[in-house]
Amino acid sequence: MFLLEQVVNGLVLGGYYLLIALGLSLIFSVGGVVNLAHGAFYAFGAYASVEITKYLGFGPAVVLSPLAVALLGILFERFLLRRFYTADPILSLLVTFGLAMIAEQLIRILWGAAPLSATIPPSLKGSVIVGNFLFSRYRLLLLAVVAAVLACVWLLLHKTSFGRVVRAGIQRPDMVAALGIRLQPYMTAIVMLGVGMAAMGGAFFAPITIVHPAMGAEIITVAFVVVVIGGLGSFWGVVIAALLVGVVRGITIHFAPAAGEASIYVLMFLVLLFRPRGLLGERIEKFE
Amino acid sequence: MMTARPHSKYRALWIAAIALAALPPAMHVLGLTVNTASMAVILAIATMGLNLSVGYTGLVSFGHGTWFGIGAYAAALIQKHWFGEQIALPILLSMVVVAVLSTFVGILILRRRGVYFSLLTLALAALTYTVAFRWSEVTGGEDGLGGLKRGSIGPINLDDALAFYVVVALIGIAVLYVLLRVVRSPFGHVLVAIRENQLRATFQGYPVERYKLAVFVLSAVVTGVAGALLGFQTYLVSAEGVSVPFSGELLAMVVIGGMHNILGPAVGALFFILFRELFSIWSPNWLLWFGLIFVGFVLYSPSGLVGIWATLSRRWWPLPEEAAAMSKRKIYEGLPLPAFLLPQGMQGTVLEVDGVSKHFGGIRAVSNASLTVGAGEIHALIGPNGAGKTTLFNLVSGLFPPDGGTVRLNGREIQGVPSHRICHRGLARSFQITNLFRGLSIYENLRLSLQAQRPMRFNAWRDIDSYPDVHAETAELIRFLGLEGIEEIEGGELSYGGQRLVDFGIALGSKPQVLLLDEPLAGLAAAERERVSNLIKSVAANIPVLIVEHDIDRVLGFSRRVTVMNQGEVLMAGAPDEVRADRRVQEIYTGTGTPPVTSHVLGEAAGSQVLRFERVNAFYGKSHILNDATLDVREGEIVALLGRNGAGKSTLLKTLAGLVPPASGIIEYDGRNIAGMPAPDIARMGIGYVPQGRGLFAGMTVAENLALGRLARKTDAAMAWSGARSRSLSTSRA
Repeated sequence: MFLLEQVVNGLVLGGYYLLIALGLSLIFSVGGVVNLAHGAFYAFGAYASVEITKYLGFGPAVVLSPLAVALLGILFERFLLRRFYTADPILSLLVTFGLAMIAEQLIRILWGAAPLSATIPPSLKGSVIVGNFLFSRYRLLLLAVVAAVLACVWLLLHKTSFGRVVRAGIQRPDMVAALGIRLQPYMTAIVMLGVGMAAMGGAFFAPITIVHPAMGAEIITVAFVVVVIGGLGSFWGVVIAALLVGVVRGITIHFAPAAGEASIYVLMFLVLLFRPRGLLGERIEKFE
Repeated sequence: MMTARPHSKYRALWIAAIALAALPPAMHVLGLTVNTASMAVILAIATMGLNLSVGYTGLVSFGHGTWFGIGAYAAALIQKHWFGEQIALPILLSMVVVAVLSTFVGILILRRRGVYFSLLTLALAALTYTVAFRWSEVTGGEDGLGGLKRGSIGPINLDDALAFYVVVALIGIAVLYVLLRVVRSPFGHVLVAIRENQLRATFQGYPVERYKLAVFVLSAVVTGVAGALLGFQTYLVSAEGVSVPFSGELLAMVVIGGMHNILGPAVGALFFILFRELFSIWSPNWLLWFGLIFVGFVLYSPSGLVGIWATLSRRWWPLPEEAAAMSKRKIYEGLPLPAFLLPQGMQGTVLEVDGVSKHFGGIRAVSNASLTVGAGEIHALIGPNGAGKTTLFNLVSGLFPPDGGTVRLNGREIQGVPSHRICHRGLARSFQITNLFRGLSIYENLRLSLQAQRPMRFNAWRDIDSYPDVHAETAELIRFLGLEGIEEIEGGELSYGGQRLVDFGIALGSKPQVLLLDEPLAGLAAAERERVSNLIKSVAANIPVLIVEHDIDRVLGFSRRVTVMNQGEVLMAGAPDEVRADRRVQEIYTGTGTPPVTSHVLGEAAGSQVLRFERVNAFYGKSHILNDATLDVREGEIVALLGRNGAGKSTLLKTLAGLVPPASGIIEYDGRNIAGMPAPDIARMGIGYVPQGRGLFAGMTVAENLALGRLARKTDAAMAWSGARSRSLSTSRA
């Protein structure tokens, strides 16, 4: 019984990882760029939503902050990422690492080093009782939001012509070009989508986590662990991995609170031992 | 033989010694303390250790803070529990701890390469940090472990800042000396080969995984020593040393200093310390600026400060201009095969392939293929594109194991054996797509092959110059190949023909008992073609050769036996004359009989010109693929492009489609010059491209594949096909 509650909490946690990891995986798969600055967009999303909540309230904040960060993503793609699509992936790793460092310092300058707290509107506070269980209302909302986002992204990738081009571009960018399709605008859109989702994660989860300058650096390693466990280029791999990581962490925290964080990495090393390309990963030559 | 003089060999050591002596007074002038100097030297040790893995072997680790931290914690715990006042033994024992741990971790994470490896090291750092932070009973958690003792050596009390600096500096010099020895040893040269081209190093017979593990452990231990020193320097070990940001800062120091120079990282560490100490006086946001500088270096000067210095000094003291031309070489015609390459007492069947098969998904690449190669023969493997020749090579040489069947080399089964072992058993190969160490000199490319055949290949201490016999063999091989005079030129700087020759030489340098050559003549000019086939003939007099080649006339001319493959199967095997006379073989190459000519050149009357190539040139790197290609296509014409492999047919089509940018020339279509336009624009003008091999998108349905093709045209005035139309066309084709 108690375990089941931990599983649900783990799913919420997994959904939170998923919002960040999915965009990371998309940018990685389509552009061949390892975006270590992805965590920074998540942090920007959280800070922007705290800021907007002060003036307009919670509702507009969780909508406007991802939009603002997605616009920032356009600049990011145009002026930086674009140089690295055909370069050695290690270079993009180094550059985005430097950017993450810069972003964290910028946050310190703008908002200070002390943690901020985000509030949720009273209507979302409180709990719901289902059978024997007590669930926080806000956490259930989060689950619903993540599920909705997931459904939208899946439909976008699999049921639209946009998605067809993106999936084809992951496999054979040269053939997509030879069909007369310019991949650049698609890449801009993918980066917008990816960083927008990260910012959304930041905005929605700000109230139940701590908003502080290093939050981006903390989430990025976990997000990469999720991507590595799930396997590159696989939508469902990332989904399964995020939920798995969330649940494993939730259960570990229950039995040994101090080992919660470590359990994620142990899980990753175990998966890699048995499935070197991740749970559902495909072989993509340029990342080998 | 090229040897470095002792004075230049160990120049880095002299520079470092002088710098270490000058550092404390220099710090004093800048208003900084001796402690800051110690700090800079400690970070220099850590980054030099990291660079052994990043710069020399190409393993970009984002997690070396792990080893720095573990070294520090281990030394602190060992001192606390067993040696109250001692410093030397805790440091030595902490090295053992780091070595053992990094061996286990290395075995696990070195299974992955490139970006994956980097991400795994990042996760490793995060894991160590959380363990250090949370496991308070052992690590002291947030407070860390305090109260460390520096102790004393004889009468000298190490609590004195200068005395401690001297100890740190001496350790720094010792570490640099060890690293210099390693880098200059046969082992160190293999590390660079792994960075340049891991696959080729494997096929040269190097057990790459063992080298990588060894260097990973060595690199971790050196960084760990630095961590232990920092613990004693500050009398405190905290989780900060294992944090991910610190790992990143270490990597940033390496990049800023320059990763292809042994002292580069030390320069980077000094830069970091000075920047932090001096900049933080007037701005609390020094890390922001450091981040910007780091990004600037990655973008604009990947070779770091050392690279900038080299560029500047080149401007002031320019090197003598050296033309990287094949024309500078000396060619000796008709040299016999060097004696050291002669295999011992070989007779009868050397290589026996029996019923080998390989499937890739639903595709049968090779099925039930058999062939034998006897001593002293050239055995040709021919067949059309896609017949499975290269796959068979890959199976025999161990790139991947066959699904079934056996491969015997001198009677011993080798199927499923790793490629580096197969190489040592006496089978070497060249590659269809030129595969060499592009960043290394020709001399080094070949020397690595010869070195791999000796037990000293694992030696990590003796200087490379102390093996005169390897150098002598290399010189002889170079002379045999006709590359003398240009041996210092980098592989990547050579023309295509030169690269093919080096690729061949690398295979030959493995002292094989049987040599597999994959299209050694493809893409060579006529004169070079003649010379290389003479080389092959003179090699084959002693070493049996299995050769894949599309120059059928030439290959039938010099082979003793021929095996013909088609669609993954062996069609026939026999003497060249039998093969030439066989109807089935003729059918493969020219079709069933001679078809009546149904088309003819329409000439000027045919209609207006649609497409025109005028003096188009295209290159892949240094390889000149299209040479003044000129071509006309008129309305109503079907134009066939014929030529052997490597003639440039596919490249011409790719140039037309915009996938390969032409270097010069005009491609006129529809009255416009489309040379150099991006591929999507060309496609939108109405040029469709069907590539060789499979150009479709696996993992998507047929309808989705077809829909993609429609998408681009939809928005244009050009022809737009409905889904129904493209479907009916595709089914009628199937």
